[in-house]
Amino acid sequence: MIRVERIHKHFGRLHVLRGITFDLPRGEALVIIGPSGSGKSTLLRCINLLVEPDEGKVIIDGVQVNRPDIRPEWARQQVGMVFQSFNLFTHLNALENVALGPIRVKGMAREAAEEKAKQLLARVGLAAKTQAFPAELSGGQQQRVAIARALAMDPKAILFDEPTSALDPEYIREVLDVMTALARDGMTMVVVTHEMGFASNVAQRILFMDAGMIIEEGRPEEIFGNPKHERTRAFVGKILR
Amino acid sequence: MASALQQEGRSRARVFDTIAGIALTVGAIAFVMDIFVGRSGFDFGYVQGEIPGFFDATKLTFYATSLAYFGGMGIGFLVGWARAARSAPLARILHDRSALVDEEAPRWETRVDTGVAILFSGVKHTVRRIADGYVEIIRGTPLFVQIVFAWSVLIVNYPRLNQLELIAGIVALTVNTGAYQGEIFRAGLQTVHSGQVEAARAIGLSRWRAMRYVILPQALRLIIPPLTNEYIGLLKASSLLLVIGVQEITGYGRSEAFRTFKVFEAFAMVTGIYLLITIPLSKVVHAVEMRYRIPGLGIQAMGPQTHV
Repeated sequence: MIRVERIHKHFGRLHVLRGITFDLPRGEALVIIGPSGSGKSTLLRCINLLVEPDEGKVIIDGVQVNRPDIRPEWARQQVGMVFQSFNLFTHLNALENVALGPIRVKGMAREAAEEKAKQLLARVGLAAKTQAFPAELSGGQQQRVAIARALAMDPKAILFDEPTSALDPEYIREVLDVMTALARDGMTMVVVTHEMGFASNVAQRILFMDAGMIIEEGRPEEIFGNPKHERTRAFVGKILR
Repeated sequence: MASALQQEGRSRARVFDTIAGIALTVGAIAFVMDIFVGRSGFDFGYVQGEIPGFFDATKLTFYATSLAYFGGMGIGFLVGWARAARSAPLARILHDRSALVDEEAPRWETRVDTGVAILFSGVKHTVRRIADGYVEIIRGTPLFVQIVFAWSVLIVNYPRLNQLELIAGIVALTVNTGAYQGEIFRAGLQTVHSGQVEAARAIGLSRWRAMRYVILPQALRLIIPPLTNEYIGLLKASSLLLVIGVQEITGYGRSEAFRTFKVFEAFAMVTGIYLLITIPLSKVVHAVEMRYRIPGLGIQAMGPQTHV
């Protein structure tokens, strides 16, 4: 479903991604862990071309998307994204936030888009909050609206960039529950997170990144229980305490 | 329901307070001035006779201010756009830069011939420098000087120009307000959080549509109040046009004051007319602010702008 081949990215003199390669089959959930500054977020942004890789290929559903004859907007419609700081459109209510993409990008009729948005909001447990504006919602509610917004584009996969890091502890569970349900329904997802419980229960595979490279890759029990690499051991030791 | 009524009651009380405050102030001033004009008394008949003249002068003030204001808005939008484009969130929309780093080549430029790209990027940077310089020069010099400058240039080069003073005045006001409105637009566009742009692009909106449906609706809410305040400021600043002989409210008032020696009456009228315009306008600003408030969010105040 998503294949990334030897991706490199520089920000000025900073070499952020140093040849990343991985392959994610349809329906699988991949969790990426690693210290801050290791390039996790940049890697996610390279997959939907919010950041354009300097070298390498991004292949979505068999199509290389980072090439001049493909509009990056098209690539972004194939892959949804959920941000650490929610980034809901502040001037639109929950329903409008979810319906904006279908209406303005896919050209769907407003009534159909809003009906769809209502269903999606119900799916993330927010049927009662369709008219609420982002500033009137809790962090957990905002993040669930953001997940509905990503789903509204019928993406082939969803990227989660530390979706629970900005949340107060009492709201983390509700967001993780929605994500877990998505994974169980067979959504392909790439999740940058430090929620070890979620990673162990939901992810088929975990990537450990450091300094722009994949240091170690494996099943959750291998990475958490028996890390092979020195740096993985040090990092896992720190987050598991 | 109850809260709406309460709010209306409160806003009515506020209006009453404002009017009462002005009345008291005017009363106090009249009491003091009575010492000076007491012997002859305030000449209401004179005031009445001057109404048609002041009416024309007021029309001229509105004419000059409005022309300059909307011309300046065009300039201001472009200047604000150019200056804001340097910052990360807007750069993402305007030039589709893939990251915050300035040295990086935008993706569409990498597609065209490198020579063309360098030329284009040169033009882009030149335009930005010009916008920067324009704003610096205008905001760094007195409006008074700008008006006299414009008038002097015109009178030396086109001495026979019809209505030369008015044209010079409008040109000076336009150029002046353009710089200030440019700063308002820049601030408004930059205040929209970069995450909003990222989210808009992430659902596949094109650059223009992200601007149209996500950035502008948020930026305009911030911009409308300071932009309306700019109109009020400009209208007051237009009084400076008297130095080049434009017969707007202040210029006309001064001419009449010294022609008839009814100095106090004439300037009382000048003052009254400005207040009649500015106080309702500032109420309108407040109403507009409330009307477009985003539920759950306050409106961030932007710093006041000064002209002189």
